[in-house]
Amino acid sequence: MSYAYLFKYIIIGDTGVGKSCLLLQFTDKRFQPVHDLTIGVEFGARMITIDNKPIKLQIWDTAGQESFRSITRSYYRGAAGALLVYDITRRETFNHLASWLEDARQHANANMTIMLIGNKCDLAHRRAVSTEEGEQFAKEHGLIFMEVSAKTAQNVEEAFIKTAATIYKKIQDGVFDVSNESYGIKVGYGGIPGSSSGRDAATSQGGGCCT
Amino acid sequence: MLETEVHDLSDDADYEASQQQGSRSIMRSDSGKRSEPEGAEVVYVKENVSVHPTQYMSERISGRLKLIKQGQSLFMSWIPYKGQNSNTRLLEKDRNLYTIRLLAFTDVRSIRRHTPAFGWQYVIVVLLSGLAFPPLYFYNGGVREFLATIRQHVFLVRSAEDESIFIVNDFQDPLQKTLSSLVQPRAVSVANAPSASISVGESPSIHNQKTDEGAFGGSSASQYIGRPRHKVHDPARDLSIQVLEKFSLVTKFARETTSQLFHENSDYFLANGRKNEQSIHDGPPKLESNNLQKVTNDVPVHDHPPKSTFNIMQNVPDEVPVPADPLEFDQLAVVWGKPRQPPLATKEWATFLDSEGRVMDAKALKKRVFYGGVEHELRKEVWPFLLGSHEYDSTYAEREYLRSVKKKDYENIKGQWQSISPEQAKRFTKFRERKGLIEKDVVRTDRTIYFYDGEDNQNVNLLHDILLTYSFYNFDLGYCQGMSDLLSPILYVMEDESEAFWCFCALMERLGPNFNRDQNGMHAQLFALSKLVEILDGPLHNYFKQNDCLNYFFCFRWILIQFKRELKYEETMRLWEVLWTHYLSEHLHLYVCIAILKRHRSKIIGEQMDFDNLLKFTNGLSGHIDLEAVLREAEALCLCAGENGAACIPPGTPPSLPTEDGLLTSQLEDEVLFSCPRKVFSHPTSRLPPGLPSKAMPALTASSVCLTSFSSPLATDRLVRRPLKRRGERIGKGNSAAEGSIVGRR
Repeated sequence: MSYAYLFKYIIIGDTGVGKSCLLLQFTDKRFQPVHDLTIGVEFGARMITIDNKPIKLQIWDTAGQESFRSITRSYYRGAAGALLVYDITRRETFNHLASWLEDARQHANANMTIMLIGNKCDLAHRRAVSTEEGEQFAKEHGLIFMEVSAKTAQNVEEAFIKTAATIYKKIQDGVFDVSNESYGIKVGYGGIPGSSSGRDAATSQGGGCCT
Repeated sequence: MLETEVHDLSDDADYEASQQQGSRSIMRSDSGKRSEPEGAEVVYVKENVSVHPTQYMSERISGRLKLIKQGQSLFMSWIPYKGQNSNTRLLEKDRNLYTIRLLAFTDVRSIRRHTPAFGWQYVIVVLLSGLAFPPLYFYNGGVREFLATIRQHVFLVRSAEDESIFIVNDFQDPLQKTLSSLVQPRAVSVANAPSASISVGESPSIHNQKTDEGAFGGSSASQYIGRPRHKVHDPARDLSIQVLEKFSLVTKFARETTSQLFHENSDYFLANGRKNEQSIHDGPPKLESNNLQKVTNDVPVHDHPPKSTFNIMQNVPDEVPVPADPLEFDQLAVVWGKPRQPPLATKEWATFLDSEGRVMDAKALKKRVFYGGVEHELRKEVWPFLLGSHEYDSTYAEREYLRSVKKKDYENIKGQWQSISPEQAKRFTKFRERKGLIEKDVVRTDRTIYFYDGEDNQNVNLLHDILLTYSFYNFDLGYCQGMSDLLSPILYVMEDESEAFWCFCALMERLGPNFNRDQNGMHAQLFALSKLVEILDGPLHNYFKQNDCLNYFFCFRWILIQFKRELKYEETMRLWEVLWTHYLSEHLHLYVCIAILKRHRSKIIGEQMDFDNLLKFTNGLSGHIDLEAVLREAEALCLCAGENGAACIPPGTPPSLPTEDGLLTSQLEDEVLFSCPRKVFSHPTSRLPPGLPSKAMPALTASSVCLTSFSSPLATDRLVRRPLKRRGERIGKGNSAAEGSIVGRR
């Protein structure tokens, strides 16, 4: 299980928008409508390939209820990417995006890549938020945007990978100092030649013990 | 800047008044000045700033709040007045527990200002570690002046997202901002070196320690003591020093007597109770009784423990050296943890009851359940007692009668939301939101258990109805995620809607604060947990401290829903019934946390887990916890910590109930009158039929029965010292007959 990079992701958004289902669809490629509600945080991980490089995504799936915001905030530290999820069939989950974004901006590092995700797009007949509105919000706030369905798996893979590709590009562009783990990126085995700091990180990481 | 401040505050009558009083009170503060370091200037003083150790406003510790400036650094102190507590039963150590001796603002993350529509304003000071002090109530007003004064000396900004929060040490750079919440303490302490020049006042020995700040894992015996050395002004640490000094004696004693105890049977504290109880408690209480102050002042450092406690672990060869567990845990567990017993079964249960169905010896029953739990078939009968939904001294007939009364009460409350028409619901957002949330959550609760599985499961609907009814019964608390986890096993056991509801209500009397919006119940428990680890495993505490893990958020889920997600369903029920006995401590769950952490301490330290990895690790322990072993170890830890452990846990920390011994004092008459009608309603147990025996003074009789029937000297000792209020309150709470009759008499 060697990887060139490890990215920490955090999935945030109102309760019941499908954060855990999204994670499960991505990591296990299945949809499980019956699962326990998330208390605190759950973890998932998967390897992907970007630019022929193996990249490990370590994903933090958080509890959505307002009461747990204060604890959720402590999870942002060192996240390289965030998936901000709303439910296209429930308007209020879209209305709350600004406050989630505020949290993310305040508690995560400034270069964190945020992907806005409108989930449950299989339920188009119950749609309460138009695609255009989602796009508009993303544009205004500088986010990547995608509508997905954790149930049908539509765009799920793409959402996670596109976020990773964006982070990867930021690395290539020198936005991150990858030796600084507060950016949510670790360099692993098979990493970038010449990145000695990365090798150190890999040694302590042990190549993927962290699921 | 000053001008804008003044302008900003000019509309505040409170501020004006305090301005007028301000200079006077500063003058008067001379007497307290001795505690300030040289060259320090008191820039703010406010009298009658109080802490309420329980939910009862009548229990109040008042003190003097000061802001002190030295050089560029600002400090806060809050010292309780001596001997002026509203309630003389508040123990001296409660006072000491809350004292904020000198808190540097470099350690403060934010101050939240609460301005309730009725009642007094208060502030909550949150530390960088994420922990918070209990609310400080300003009985003489002056919150704005307090904040304005801080703003004159410290960078203070109002949070954009919540204007009641004032953020200290906020930085422009968002990265810095993030770091400041989690990584900053060290950096700040270093950057503000002058702060170090104020030691915890009177303790040169601590001051000196600054110099030996070495790499972690150094072999100095002082490491064992687990004394944080970065923040010399951490008030929590003041407490820990006292506790540690005392505790180290216990540990030393324990070590010395280990071999002796080793040979004694598991029932040692029954068989040899007197001897052991005496010797164990002889050490610490000597210090404890009158010398608290002395211990704080001239901290005798480093003379114990023996060096041998700092061995390098051999079994983690390639890892970082792991400091040895000061309790030499496994060994102690063998000695201290009593073997678990088989669960209580029907036949034995019958022996606890008299002919009319009263539990004759509640204490013995609790002890029995503590050590063995209850057979599943019997849970339905026993749980209501453990939860306080049934009185131990009630008869079959009384319970039968109350069952029907309660059922009717339940239906009434349920009817409240059932009667909301769709038209009304349209205009009732809060109701729709709650209902929607509960609907979403019950279908995500334990659906793999056969009791709740499948489509259109009626039991899932019952979960929904009970939770929604509860959210009307306790509208202030409402519904919060995690409650369905707590209800699920209860409904599973009780198999009756109304009875499950009332048992759930009783449980929420204890655990409700876990779900408070401001999370203060959780904070209180995490705070207590950190204090307990500090005395029970100094090196582990040090490790957490150095890795910014002191907020103990990695135990959040454990505590919030009482290990429900960590254990199998059957095990969860076993653990809960053991916890509910409150046999050795109301806070055994915290010792369970520590027992689990200690089992993995060498892995945690050896692999140098940071916050993220620690969180992942503790999450991953789900399904891999040996409950019976952990319970034995928790018991051992609890006994080992004894009074010192109890002293780490502020009164009122969930699941402790608010104390009610105040009811006996005359100044509380008003509150008795005010609170009774609500309680009469909330506890239908009070409505006894005319023919049944009256239970006019249950609190007194029942608690005296409890106290005299203890068979374990150790347990007696603990319960007597945190005395009647603990037991009396439980009984008083669960039985409002007495309160009802008080009202009736008036």
